[in-house]
Amino acid sequence: MSTFQGVLVETDVLVIGGGAGGLVAALSAKRHGSHGTRVTLVDSGMIGRCGHTAFSNAWTIVVLPSDDLDGTLREIVAGNDGVADQELVRATLADSYERLRDFESMGMKFERDARGHYIRRPTRGLDLARVLYPEGGGLEFSWLLRRALEGAGVQLMDRIFITGLLREQGRVVGAVGIHGRTGEFHVCKARTTIVATNAIGFRAGFVRDIAGTGTLLAYEAGATLRNSEFSYVRPGTPRFYFEGITFAIQEGAKFINANGDAFMAKYEPEWGDEADVPRIARAMAVEKRTGNAPLYLDMSAIPEEMRDYFLRSKVRWMDNFFHKLGGEAKTDMFGKTPYYAMNQMTKMAIRTGADCRSDVPGLLAAGLAQAGCANHFAGFHIGLCIGNGWIAGRSAIEDLDRLPARALNAGLIQSQHDDALRPLNANAQAESDAILRDLQEIMFAYDIGILKQADRIERALIQVNALAKRMESLAAPHVHELVRLKETESMLNAAHLMLGGSLFRTESRLSHFREDFPARDDENWAVWVDATKVAGQPEFVKTPIPTPLCPIAAVQGRRPSRLRAGAAAGA
Amino acid sequence: MIEHIELEKCTGCGVCDVVCPADVIHMEPAPIADPVLGLRSDFKLPVIKFREHCITCFSCEIFCPEQIVDVHPSVKNRPRPW
Repeated sequence: MSTFQGVLVETDVLVIGGGAGGLVAALSAKRHGSHGTRVTLVDSGMIGRCGHTAFSNAWTIVVLPSDDLDGTLREIVAGNDGVADQELVRATLADSYERLRDFESMGMKFERDARGHYIRRPTRGLDLARVLYPEGGGLEFSWLLRRALEGAGVQLMDRIFITGLLREQGRVVGAVGIHGRTGEFHVCKARTTIVATNAIGFRAGFVRDIAGTGTLLAYEAGATLRNSEFSYVRPGTPRFYFEGITFAIQEGAKFINANGDAFMAKYEPEWGDEADVPRIARAMAVEKRTGNAPLYLDMSAIPEEMRDYFLRSKVRWMDNFFHKLGGEAKTDMFGKTPYYAMNQMTKMAIRTGADCRSDVPGLLAAGLAQAGCANHFAGFHIGLCIGNGWIAGRSAIEDLDRLPARALNAGLIQSQHDDALRPLNANAQAESDAILRDLQEIMFAYDIGILKQADRIERALIQVNALAKRMESLAAPHVHELVRLKETESMLNAAHLMLGGSLFRTESRLSHFREDFPARDDENWAVWVDATKVAGQPEFVKTPIPTPLCPIAAVQGRRPSRLRAGAAAGA
Repeated sequence: MIEHIELEKCTGCGVCDVVCPADVIHMEPAPIADPVLGLRSDFKLPVIKFREHCITCFSCEIFCPEQIVDVHPSVKNRPRPW
């Protein structure tokens, strides 16, 4: 007999995560589904007001009908050092204009010039691709999508923290979770489930509520994870958070070292300060190793008339931020600001085909929880989330015919319930933050997170395992800590996989720099590194990367046709 | 981080709690001016419950209809690993 109480939600398509990927996946499922198809979207926060998308600029790469689609595809594949699902990237780019029109029909406004043409910006590390940006940034973008979902009849469930996927007879049949405030147990029975819980972060960047737990839940449910060795190691400052470095660099900002040297040209002669994020992070790590730290972002060359643009952002939180910082912001921003690179998110995500179906029937992935690319570029984070969200929603609907609803298994629900609330104990102390801090110290070290070497990775693995051991004895005195604790647990598991994948790939590629294997080795490593849980441990294997549309060996782009001046000009 | 909410001007709408992505603000029953045994107030006021987990996203300040939430832009709880 069961010993719990809870809420049962029955649906056809369950989407977990309310960022760009999840919002678009839910919309797509509703649009592709027949009349009466039930679509449910859950998020641990308030859908439309939370998640990485809501706090971003929501820049998105859009390929207009007059643009060079295949050229853009080629440069994105090359900019990923080949580690990209070419068919998925192409489908995303090809669909981007239609999605743009769709968003406009919901009331989104994308910046246009006086003649009514879209204002389009280039993005770091790419030459052909152009970014469009919605007015009001991510908050407006997410909110208008929420309103569209409400209008379309999608069931929205705020503040449900998913703690496990239901797997029965080799198939995912929904998920369970708890209400983030009351702790009330929820069972979401679904025929298809789309995980869209972002990439995994260690509470480094601005959006520190992002933990990416869904990816690890998928791994536990039998899905294979991909790209654990790659990370989005983003340079940032401890003083303030700033969305818009890409544009600032185009207007004259430079990275400099303690001696005042602009060092990027030395490492990236073609791109200089406009190199993509992983390459800037690597250069910074080498400068640090060489003894040239502290490093700075120097924005003093940004022309006076452009400065207000950066201070009066269209993103509302940044507007408040700079308004309150006042004079301090101007001195900090347009002088030298200390900068260093931290792992903002791992690129580890769920392996799927270009149809966004995972290896486990009933389980799909969207957003950054889907392993379409290992490098995203400003504008292609959300760009790909929109693309794979649309595809995942469509695939989930196609799967409904093959995946009839199953009766719930009471024993399975009971054990999931017990797992969900397991470490809750009113007498416990909230101690997961101490473990998180230790984990950050390990994973953010420049000679672990950026410059890697076998002996150091092995040492870090031992440290992470020791933290996991410490974690076992922790309990949570309230639901707030229970959620934090489960997120930290998930981060520890992610760190374990990241270090394992980093050890496995014995070459250097993209954001994965092995000091003991410094060269890119296409002969042996034009592959994905995939991890599956076997007997409790990750088993890493190589999977060749198919190249149906362009070769993997392409050298990354020619010198970009624009540098600095005129960057804001149209296509 | 979140600094202060001017409770004397608060209408108890709860928006700050709803939009907080980090579960920092909780609406809790307000104290009753004339306590009567067995009654608790239906009126709730925000409590800054987990300030150390504030991510300085400004959402509570932006969406507060009374404009009585104050968030300071310093992000002192960010890690500094280098």
